[in-house]
Amino acid sequence: MPKQLYLCIQRSDPQAMSGGEEPSPAQMEVMFAKFNAWKEQFKEEIVDMGGRLGAGAVVTSDSTIDGPFAECKEIVGGYMIVETETLEQALEVARQSPGVFPGASVEVREISKT
Amino acid sequence: MSEPQLVEHFFRHEYGRLVAVLLRRVGAEHLDQVEDAVQVALVQALESWVLRGTPKNPSAWLYRVAHNSLIGALRQQGNQQRLLDQFLAPVESEASAITTDDQQAQERGDEDMLCMLFVSCDKDLPLESSLVFALKTLCGFSVPEIAQRLLKTEANVYKRLSRARQRLGQHRELRDGLTAEHYSDRLPAVQQVIYALFSEGYLSSHPDSAIRAELCDEAIRLAKMLSEHPATQTPDSLALLALMHLHRARLSARCSDDGALLLLEEQDRQHWDKYRIAQGLQYLAASASGSSLSRYHAEAAIAAEHCLAPSFEQTRWDRIVENYELLNHVAPSALHQINQALALAERDNPAVGLAHLEAHEPPSWLQQSYQWAAVKADLLLRTGEAEQAKPYIQQALENAPSKAVRQLLNRRLQS
Repeated sequence: MPKQLYLCIQRSDPQAMSGGEEPSPAQMEVMFAKFNAWKEQFKEEIVDMGGRLGAGAVVTSDSTIDGPFAECKEIVGGYMIVETETLEQALEVARQSPGVFPGASVEVREISKT
Repeated sequence: MSEPQLVEHFFRHEYGRLVAVLLRRVGAEHLDQVEDAVQVALVQALESWVLRGTPKNPSAWLYRVAHNSLIGALRQQGNQQRLLDQFLAPVESEASAITTDDQQAQERGDEDMLCMLFVSCDKDLPLESSLVFALKTLCGFSVPEIAQRLLKTEANVYKRLSRARQRLGQHRELRDGLTAEHYSDRLPAVQQVIYALFSEGYLSSHPDSAIRAELCDEAIRLAKMLSEHPATQTPDSLALLALMHLHRARLSARCSDDGALLLLEEQDRQHWDKYRIAQGLQYLAASASGSSLSRYHAEAAIAAEHCLAPSFEQTRWDRIVENYELLNHVAPSALHQINQALALAERDNPAVGLAHLEAHEPPSWLQQSYQWAAVKADLLLRTGEAEQAKPYIQQALENAPSKAVRQLLNRRLQS
């Protein structure tokens, strides 16, 4: 089956969320983990350079960025684009992403190729 | 509403919005007339509303009066026919649309505000002058508040303000619109204005109100717009938005029932808004891309550590110290060093914190601030140097910007 692009839009304003189940500490830690994995590279850079790093840390691509949540590298400002064979699979990817937590909803739309 | 409340609310909140809405329509070269017109509207409101009661839709009322007054001024100037034609037509629909009750209208007002922030953050102006102008004219700050927020003298703020007005008065770029390049060039300055707006809400320098949630919410709405626009949707913008949500989540727990400020240690963590924290973390995850880490990333990481800590004692102070080190690398500041000293005091012991504070000689502006004196006094007290702490306690209490902060310091340092 050919792969198809899907757009996943997260709907998560605080009012909409407050009706759902309160996010658990464990879920929140998972969400924070992705950021911390990304942050690692800057820490190493500072150590390597003996603390002489100036403003605007410029860092080369580093394998530490590719943490367990690679698919989420595409998330920008509440949406992501995933490439899967079926809508079901796209929904599954969206569900697994750390940005999605109880109470938030995700709208998944097929992106037409024409 | 009583008269002082009217003045407080409208001069602060509506003033900047009205200026932004009108300025966007007639151009920054008419800044003087726009400000005059808005002031006329506010003065009329004071007289008329106290006498006849507040109208059903105060914002629309103000808009209509300011609009009419501006038209009058432009007519007198003559030679403004094209502008008048353009400007006269939409008055009724605009006036009814400007109500702040209506979410759509609020969004439109936010849009005007954001546009004017980008106009005022002109590259030809020093960054700090843009900040002064935007905070004064668009965000309703007083000169002493700006001086406190930007760590400048009031005289310096006045000087910057008048230069910025002069420069922006020569502007005609609104007519042609801002380009994508303008947006990306000016983004760091606009982010700083929004950050300052939020900071003032988070811990106000206003003598009577310690926390002003409405300023925090306005800053969040503006940052959200940055995060949605392709030209301004950068990792830094997302980190700024994350940072503000994470702080906003704890806001209601920072005050006791009688309005006194509470220390982090004393706050009931049950009252922190978990949904808001999760939202902040979501934006933080989205901000984790690209090859540079901004000050907003580091600050948001610190805020997230606090939000996720089950108790003050169980806070991961080692990670907070680490984040302060990162912050000091991307945005070196003596202010960050004093915060790091407090984190070190928790991670290791107060003596280590004190040693860090003493190793970083503060610049004179900081040495005179209540923050530096308060941290110094606190760490001295905790290392058993009560006698040495005395002058710093005194200094902290004298320089506290508001009653609420003074009470808090009193409780912490003199109990």
